Amino acid sequence: MHHAEHVMGTVVSIDLADNLPQDDLRAMIDDVCGWLHEVDRRFSTYRDDSEVSRLRRREIAATDCSTDMRHVLEACADLWRETDGYFDAYAAGPLDPSGYVKGWSVEVASARLAEAGSVNHCVNAGGDVRARGLSGTGAPWRVGIRHPWEADKLSWVLSVSDQAVATSGTYERGDHVFNPRTGAPARGLRSVTVVGPDLALADAYATAALAMGEGGIAWLAKLTAEGYDSALVTDDGRAFSSAGLPAAV
Amino acid sequence: MRRSTAAAVGTLTGAALIVGVRLSVSAPVVPTAAPPAVDLANSRQDADPEPAASSTKKPSSKKPTAKPTEDASGEAGGSGLKNGIFKGSAAKNPYGTIQVSIKVAGGKITAADATYPVTGDSATINPPAIAALKQSTVKAQSADVDAVSGATFTSASYVKSLQAAIDQATA
Repeated sequence: MHHAEHVMGTVVSIDLADNLPQDDLRAMIDDVCGWLHEVDRRFSTYRDDSEVSRLRRREIAATDCSTDMRHVLEACADLWRETDGYFDAYAAGPLDPSGYVKGWSVEVASARLAEAGSVNHCVNAGGDVRARGLSGTGAPWRVGIRHPWEADKLSWVLSVSDQAVATSGTYERGDHVFNPRTGAPARGLRSVTVVGPDLALADAYATAALAMGEGGIAWLAKLTAEGYDSALVTDDGRAFSSAGLPAAV
Repeated sequence: MRRSTAAAVGTLTGAALIVGVRLSVSAPVVPTAAPPAVDLANSRQDADPEPAASSTKKPSSKKPTAKPTEDASGEAGGSGLKNGIFKGSAAKNPYGTIQVSIKVAGGKITAADATYPVTGDSATINPPAIAALKQSTVKAQSADVDAVSGATFTSASYVKSLQAAIDQATA
């Protein structure tokens, strides 16, 4: 069963490949969409009444926040340390944990689906993908990485099962990733894709590497030891990929 | 990475001993930062690592560059070696630059380590040491896929995306 949901400022595509009654699949999709809208209400920086907006205005203290908010704040702090400050929820000034929230919310969504009985699914939140099990064809999910200049082409095709694929790039929404050291828009890398077990981390790592610029290439190389493979394209069109990238044949 | 460590051990052990002897007679005791961790991925980005500059000096000029680190106790052991971590000057060979560091405890050398060649051509002799990403040319292909990963599109730009086409096809 396939469903596309407009939420979090983008579209989340949900693909369930389990051989289960339609009503069950429908209920799972409804549950996931409910969760994603709940995340949006809580974490959207565009909503004045969201928890993140109230936290920004200091109407509430971090200690009074929801469990989810406290988790997100803690995770952002951990990632800030782990990425030498390049993943920075405060890069643009006020708190904006969006760079973590989307990947995390889909990681949670996928876990909820698995708990409800869907062991074969693929959720794509505006370009950040979490796959589990096998696709409807009985083979691993085929995930294309968008070509950074040609919107209708792919630069890599991956074959994934139980993995996350996150991409950060400068080609879709312009300069939205900043180098927190300089305050200037990230330069050097056009597109960074990270593949690994957790979408929240993969997404944050991709964003951090993009912020680093070409220095991110070496930084990504070190991540392979932690189970996160990568593929990237520089501003001048050079492509790099790690040896363990699950490229489809 | 480990294999290259082993490969370099013969050279390093010898070098470490030589450096160790030099250190024992080294007069200047200026604390410096701890020796650099073996951190290839990072150092690879630095076009010309600092140690390379000193490698052109004559061997005798290397002595003052070997300094105990801050955590050196400064106490002389029975052998005359001072306790601490010592960094030798960089040695350049046809494969790149190697810098040895040794740890002295109780007057004995208890550990030796080294930074590895970090120049581009070193990859040919030291492939496992550098967990680098391999370079290729960016391809533009069309393929049948279940999902497309890319920079986040907005709700509005979704309609023009490849993912939207896939969603349409499978709806």
